[in-house]
Amino acid sequence: MEIAIPPDLVFVILAAVTLIAAVLALQAKELIYGAIALGISFIGIAGFFVFLDAPYLAMLQIAVYVGAVVVLILFTIMLVRREQSDELLDRPEGGQGAVGLWLAGLLAVAIAGVAALAGPNLPAAPPAGNLPVSSLGLVLAAEYPIPLVILALLISAALLGALVLAKVEK
Amino acid sequence: MNLPATPADLIPFLFAVITSHTFIQIILFPGFIHVTLVTAFLTWYERKIIARIQLRIGPLYAGGPGGILQPIADGVKLIFKEVMIPYKADKPLFLAIPLALVVMAALPFAVIPFGQNWVIANLDVGLVFVFAMISLFPLMILIFAWASNSKYPFLGGLRSLFQQVAYEIPMWISALSIVMLAGSLSLVDIVNAQARIWFIIPAFLSFIVFFISVMAELERLPFDLPTAEPELVAGWFTESSGAIFMLQFLALYMKMYLMSSLVTVLFLGGWWGPAFLPQPVWFIIKTLIVATFIIIPRAVFARIRVDMLIRIGWTRLLIVALVNVFLTVLLITSGLTAILGM
Repeated sequence: MEIAIPPDLVFVILAAVTLIAAVLALQAKELIYGAIALGISFIGIAGFFVFLDAPYLAMLQIAVYVGAVVVLILFTIMLVRREQSDELLDRPEGGQGAVGLWLAGLLAVAIAGVAALAGPNLPAAPPAGNLPVSSLGLVLAAEYPIPLVILALLISAALLGALVLAKVEK
Repeated sequence: MNLPATPADLIPFLFAVITSHTFIQIILFPGFIHVTLVTAFLTWYERKIIARIQLRIGPLYAGGPGGILQPIADGVKLIFKEVMIPYKADKPLFLAIPLALVVMAALPFAVIPFGQNWVIANLDVGLVFVFAMISLFPLMILIFAWASNSKYPFLGGLRSLFQQVAYEIPMWISALSIVMLAGSLSLVDIVNAQARIWFIIPAFLSFIVFFISVMAELERLPFDLPTAEPELVAGWFTESSGAIFMLQFLALYMKMYLMSSLVTVLFLGGWWGPAFLPQPVWFIIKTLIVATFIIIPRAVFARIRVDMLIRIGWTRLLIVALVNVFLTVLLITSGLTAILGM
């Protein structure tokens, strides 16, 4: 049994959750709440990946960004004491908030303009369909082998660097 | 089926939803009621097994054979107890996280196949979905420990974070060899690939690594440092009481059932068995046997030290898991899997 849910509604709800959580992440008085809102925002982005027929990316988004990145952020926040964490909060002063709003508004107008001008003429994207996960690996390994190897090198270098830093502390 | 257009359509619509195949699967079997019942059974089963190993009798008076109604008595008692919220605790988070824990533990059952057709959603990426949900547990526990605003829960939460994040890595890598053997991330396909031979035979090393990682993820003895009684009172749930404690307890045992069924799916052939019993029965029997082996060490072993925990995780399990990946590649490229009929 399939219940037909209008796709626009799903998009609007996902966008609202993601954006509201992102704003909360910046505006939360308590840093922990900010980190949790960031996690909710990441889950909203994972929802977009599911919506775009990329469930594998969605799951990895949750596992890596919510399961690891947000945990690291929380861990760092918890290492500093509450009095210190208040000092970490950097509130915009003077005209900064207004400038930010103006820039965001300009960007929104620019994106809306591009979408209005070019949108109707763009060819429709081919439907992604139900591609197996292995096709992702095949594309990565066959068409982009060098970036893949460089990424692997970068991650190994970061790991070794972390080990060296931890060793020096002793 | 379309959403109801007028209020008059609402009743037939709701009726159609409630009697639909998907809804019954989600609510009854293999969905929430079945999972809750087996979870309640597991709490009684654990107390009984440990009592027998320690030459005690265990739960006895709660009615039924061997006091099998004990979980219901426990539940009623915990529901009617007062929920104590510590002074200066973060109240919204303190109340919300136990609920979120239950949701996180129950969601992955949507992709666990209890039989050829007894699966709620056959996701292409079912295994990654289960792992993604499991990876949210340390986050929830850390937030709850912080929200308790007390030092024992906080220490327990940090320990839980270190332990679960460290043991997730060998767990993922040891599951990788299963994915290579089955050629799919869907749990249904993985079980179907074991129709002839269970993956515990070609991937025995990865079974060992996975099982030890599961023990550590579940914080079972000998890996129960986050809830070590002599050091941390009750670890990260020291401050929880009443219904809050009940929800956490439910989530923990649900996670135990989930991990046992994951071991069954990945290594023990899932629902496959002689045809005189239906497929879900074979699945639950195998899962309960795995759960038994997860429970027994609690009555047998002592707790290991923190440094031993970290050393086992990063210098033993991780290396065995990586070596095992290469062994599996050798096994597949040498054509042995074809000879074994997989």
